[in-house]
Amino acid sequence: MSTVPVLETRGLGRSFGGLRAVSDVSFSVPEGQVLGVIGPNGSGKSTFINLVTGHIKPTQGRVLIDGRDLTAARPWVIAHARVARTFQIVKPFRGMSVRENVAVGILYGPQGTNVMAHALKAADEVLEEVGIAGLGDRPPGELSVADARRLELAKALALRPRLLLLDEVMAGLRHTEIEPSLELIRSLKARGITVIVVEHVMKAILAVSDRVLVLHQGQVLTSGDPREVLADPRVIEAYLGHRYAKRRETDS
Amino acid sequence: MTTSTQVPQQGVTGAMHRDQAMRLLPWMVGVLAVLGALALQSQLFLGQQRTVAAIFMFVSLAQAWNLIGGFTGYACFGQVVFFGIGGYFTAIAISHWHLSFWVSLLLSGVVAALFATLIGLPLLRLKGHYFAIATLGVAEGMREVVTNLPDLTGGGAGITIPTVGPDATTAYLGNEGFYVLFLALAALSVLVGGLVARSKFGYALRAIHQDEDAAAAVGINTTRMKVLAFALSGFITGLVGATYAFQQVTIFPQRLFDVNITVLMVIMVVIGGSGTVLGPLLGAVTLQFLSEFLRQNFTDLHIFILGAIIIVAVILLPQGAVNYVREARRTGEFSLLANVRKYRL
Amino acid sequence: MSAFLQATVYGLLQGGLLALVAVGFSLVWGVMNVVNLAHGAFVILGAYIGWGMHQEFGLDPFLGMFVSAAVLFALGYVTQRLLINLVVNGPIFITLLLTFGLELVMVQGMNLAFSADFRSIETSYAGESLALGSVRVPVGRLLAFALAVAITFLLVALVTRTRTGMSIMATGMDRGAARLMGIRARHVYALTFGIATALAGMAGAMIGTVGTFSPAAAGSFTLMSFVVAVLGGLGNMYGALAGGLVIGLVQAWGGQYLPGTWVNALAFLVLIIVLVVRPTGLVGKAFYAARLEV
Repeated sequence: MSTVPVLETRGLGRSFGGLRAVSDVSFSVPEGQVLGVIGPNGSGKSTFINLVTGHIKPTQGRVLIDGRDLTAARPWVIAHARVARTFQIVKPFRGMSVRENVAVGILYGPQGTNVMAHALKAADEVLEEVGIAGLGDRPPGELSVADARRLELAKALALRPRLLLLDEVMAGLRHTEIEPSLELIRSLKARGITVIVVEHVMKAILAVSDRVLVLHQGQVLTSGDPREVLADPRVIEAYLGHRYAKRRETDS
Repeated sequence: MTTSTQVPQQGVTGAMHRDQAMRLLPWMVGVLAVLGALALQSQLFLGQQRTVAAIFMFVSLAQAWNLIGGFTGYACFGQVVFFGIGGYFTAIAISHWHLSFWVSLLLSGVVAALFATLIGLPLLRLKGHYFAIATLGVAEGMREVVTNLPDLTGGGAGITIPTVGPDATTAYLGNEGFYVLFLALAALSVLVGGLVARSKFGYALRAIHQDEDAAAAVGINTTRMKVLAFALSGFITGLVGATYAFQQVTIFPQRLFDVNITVLMVIMVVIGGSGTVLGPLLGAVTLQFLSEFLRQNFTDLHIFILGAIIIVAVILLPQGAVNYVREARRTGEFSLLANVRKYRL
Repeated sequence: MSAFLQATVYGLLQGGLLALVAVGFSLVWGVMNVVNLAHGAFVILGAYIGWGMHQEFGLDPFLGMFVSAAVLFALGYVTQRLLINLVVNGPIFITLLLTFGLELVMVQGMNLAFSADFRSIETSYAGESLALGSVRVPVGRLLAFALAVAITFLLVALVTRTRTGMSIMATGMDRGAARLMGIRARHVYALTFGIATALAGMAGAMIGTVGTFSPAAAGSFTLMSFVVAVLGGLGNMYGALAGGLVIGLVQAWGGQYLPGTWVNALAFLVLIIVLVVRPTGLVGKAFYAARLEV
């Protein structure tokens, strides 16, 4: 285990015209940790993921992956640095089968296979890992929401990542579907993958995170132990508003 | 070796052989088609050979466009610029620099590919309509540039390739020779299309088409792939333009950079089925046949009818014939009306 | 100096008219994401109607243009409602091909009906000029310019201040939400297209008075509308006016100072640069940039 953090950001920021979507976000994630990232809507969580993975260029700050400065690197460079992500609204390749969807990552990811047959076989193995092994031949359009999320995860895992960023993978899942997803995240951690879980579902965050980072209006509000952070009155105020926080104060 | 152990082994090998045969089938059909076309030549009058050569020409153009427009999803509405560049480069190379046609042919393809790379880098960042219009602007602009450099290109008065006498560097191929050359280019374009479709490269292009962000996120260098597809498309189109120029002997900017040529290729691909190998082939053959038939039998009205046919075809079969048949066979849904409902408001 | 002034005045006058030609095209592209390759054909058709009214009834083209507008509005409405609406949800090149087919049909139709001869609409006053210092200002062009600008302002008022206009803007921004509000999208699209073709027709009738036209000119009007629309920002009507004036000036100055037809190449270069560097146009904002389609 090296001491260089898998991901470190220093003063990361992005402005759109006058709007500062993300500003001055600095933190680091050591190898093997599961970091939960929470924040109310509009706090900059998705922008943050896009900044780290190269889909949006930062206007300030730096992104370091395994100590390498990969600020503003294009998404495929990030992918080749063994950093994978899922998209909040899943983005499957609609004209290909589920298996082929995953195979693309095996062909073009860090592994760089050149033989189609090998890639398809390896894709099947990844489908097995996420639990949709039987759906290899189907078109993505026919999948249920939960299975579509698994496909999205499978596409990311095809890169055999060291760092995985999950963008609201629990959103819209039924109660019965959340636990298997949590199991999946725990199994990823067991394999030594560093995971950043951006979430709204608090129960999930509490269940899997080693540490939690709170974003509010594009900036880091606080970070630390999950239970402490979630009980922090500033966090409650950010989510539920000033008046609710005040009322809670006067009630207690 | 007893019979009981032989039978299961044969079963497995039998299945493998069948699979291999299925994969080789398209190539075998292709070879047969080329041989057939060569055999056909002896049965055709010279004038008819010219007509069929035009069909081969459009097959190549359609296949080439399909690489960038069909597979990659970047609908280039300025494709004719590569045709024109190929044609004019060859004309200039033979007339001014006294190169042989064959050398000029190859160089024309290369120059067109280089030009594609040059404009591809900035323009392939644009999406949808913007890319279509920008490339159209390039084609129209190039036509104007060629028209306004009369010393080099002959300007609006055109340029003539010397085909007889001391200045001619290569003997004129004649209708028979051009038939074979255009056939070779058509075969080449279908071959390239087929290879791309089944290769790792083809997967990248399709991924880019179906979701460019996701493609980038799984490690595809989308810039490089797009430019490569564009350059390959330009290369083939350039070769075709060069051949056309030599065939026509005298060329004009209005013709070599005619936007109608682009639109014809696009229509052929779209009606045939974009993103497939068979689609552009079918579309080119059908539409060119139709166009010739209409031109000969309804001379006054032929463009009018062609326009009407295009409108109807685009409404009824927006995904093209080949894709329609494949989807229909998969879902069992054959109704054309259901097809129209997919894209209507 | 006076040659420069003359060219400038000409450019502005022509530019106003070009703006009217392009504004409908820009509106349709901005609201419905439809690029109408037959737009120039509608312009020429409007010119023929104006010419026809003048030939048969002696109707002054500046009045005849209202007939053009009415006829072309109806034609445009029907075209959108019955044809283009059928492919609007598909990939963009489907609408491009449909409108291309339409262009072929319309241009050939006009060739057959009117022949390919050049026509123009002669009025007694159009040839006269006012003198502004050393600069000649032809009456016809001045009238066309004034009307074109006035109509553009009227269009903006229509779109921003009437209920109909609001429904057009709303449908352009978020078709799904608009439908949820009770707006009939099919009708609104047809209305928008009809307005665009009506304006094209009016511009055509006026063009008939200041120059010659024939079916073959359709393509260049479409292409020119592209350039103006992109310069001004899609769906931005004031932008179309600005874009038209810019192109008019570029054409006039280019024609004056550049040899041959280099000015055309210049116009295309401008188009490409704008698309690459600032696709929202010189004036436009990213108004319809985030589109939600339902």
